[in-house]
Amino acid sequence: MADRACIEAQGLTVQRGNHVLLNEISFSLGAGQVVALLGPNGAGKSTLLKTLAGLLPFSGELRLDGREASQLDRQERARLVAYVPQHSALDAALPVRDVVAHGRFAYRDVWGRPDQRDDAAIERAMELTDTRRLAGRSFSRLSYGERRLVLLARALATEARVLLLDEPTAALDVTHALGLLHLLRDLASRGALVMVALHQLNEAAQASDQALLLASGHLVSAGPAAEVISAEPVRRVYGVEIVPAAQFGFRIPAGKDSSP
Amino acid sequence: MKIALTYVVLLALLIGAVGLALLVGHGSLADPVLRSTLLGLRATRVGAALLAGAALATGGAVVQGVFRDPLVSPSILGTTAGASLGGQLAMLALVSGSPLASVAVSAEMVLPLGCLLGAGLSLTIVLTFCRERTGTLTLILTGFILSSLFLALSSFITSLAQDSWDMSRAVVSFTLGGVGGVSTRQLLAVLPLVGIGIVASWLWSGTLDLLLSGEEEATSLGVEVGRARRWAVTWVAVLAAAAIAVGGNVGFVGLIVPHTLRPLVGVRHRRLIPACALLGGAFLVACDIIARVFPSRSELPLGVITGIIGAPVFLVLLARSQREVSHG
Repeated sequence: MADRACIEAQGLTVQRGNHVLLNEISFSLGAGQVVALLGPNGAGKSTLLKTLAGLLPFSGELRLDGREASQLDRQERARLVAYVPQHSALDAALPVRDVVAHGRFAYRDVWGRPDQRDDAAIERAMELTDTRRLAGRSFSRLSYGERRLVLLARALATEARVLLLDEPTAALDVTHALGLLHLLRDLASRGALVMVALHQLNEAAQASDQALLLASGHLVSAGPAAEVISAEPVRRVYGVEIVPAAQFGFRIPAGKDSSP
Repeated sequence: MKIALTYVVLLALLIGAVGLALLVGHGSLADPVLRSTLLGLRATRVGAALLAGAALATGGAVVQGVFRDPLVSPSILGTTAGASLGGQLAMLALVSGSPLASVAVSAEMVLPLGCLLGAGLSLTIVLTFCRERTGTLTLILTGFILSSLFLALSSFITSLAQDSWDMSRAVVSFTLGGVGGVSTRQLLAVLPLVGIGIVASWLWSGTLDLLLSGEEEATSLGVEVGRARRWAVTWVAVLAAAAIAVGGNVGFVGLIVPHTLRPLVGVRHRRLIPACALLGGAFLVACDIIARVFPSRSELPLGVITGIIGAPVFLVLLARSQREVSHG
């Protein structure tokens, strides 16, 4: 299942002033899997994703696809790691296709001209996320759920091996949330390492292969999702009991198109 | 189609404004003796208004993109106040007969040079503070402090200029804006600056579009945000210096022109910037026509006209955008 290491972190530490946001985090993750990043509010999930995306300074060692992260220039890193924030700052009246095309910035020449490969990557990303129907619309006029899909399409257009998503299902209805998780599994099966911060443990248990459980900036547990999302770690970090058999849950009916 | 039509209308407006500006004004073109002189003088004025308007509007589009805020103008960076102070100091040096003013350049080039040096100085200070991880707030605060400082110094120079009637008249005229006294040489000196500023801004269109996603997302997509911001600030400073060198202090152009055009050509800078250059030029040429034909004892200052037109237009645009926000 797991390919060679896509992300290797050793003693990863992030500080803001005297406040330690991430404390000596170490893990190694291969391609072709969905990794759930879990933990209560303030555990350091978003900080870890931003650090991996190159948005925060850190100490310790970080290797991306076998290369020292600090040796990568901004464009190389963008071609390797795509990041979808929980709340996007984008609210401009840009056409949706242009927003997706921003995912190709790291491939553009000095004149910024797109080539055939750019167009193909944009089309593929829009097809996977079912956003082609929105192509001509203005981003600022989209619903929250549609915006999230377009931002995911922008990340997919980068063709990065590592995809980092910060709570992508938050504020999505159950249909879109299930569709999105299904899509993430599909992307992992195509060889991507999908790292996704999630609040809902049942979603994480269903959708992920591996899990990292954080609490107060420390990595409490890491390994197969079924082991991490188990009684003892969950009680220790969240202070709640796992109910073994959920009374009801949701799934996409067999044969139905699962596009988000 | 809508965008193409908008460009055609903008081009027609520009051509119409330039044509009208050449035809109207004091003195009759029917007089064969005066005709070529009058047309020459008017052409220089038109050229100055065109360049200043195009430069200010383009600078406005760039700075609004960098700050992700359609309500800011190029003056936010402090480089406009710097250029203005530089221009006033140059005039002071020229009138006081300072050897500095006549060592290397002819008298008519002292003013543009002063504007450039003033903008360059404030740009250097801004860039010193605008490092890799500096947020836009620091940039805004630096610009605000610089503007306040340079405006205070400008006021000091204006008070010093009261000793000489000629000097005070020149300083007040420069402060209120106008393209009346621009020479062909000044125009030719400023032309490449405006050209470089507009073309460079246009070439950075793609990066400016990505900055609309905010610093973090733009960075994750491969933009060197600090570098992009520093270059954008540099182009805005070049454009502001060029505009002030030939037009003095003219407000509102950089604020209202991009704001007016976004609903027509969209927010993509590749389309917005050329449209801003066209409408900015046409708008200032039209304002200069009003300045010349308005019945008054002396010519109306250009900055007064742009202010009187710009402020209400801006309020209307603001009300419209507020309405759009509240209606989702």
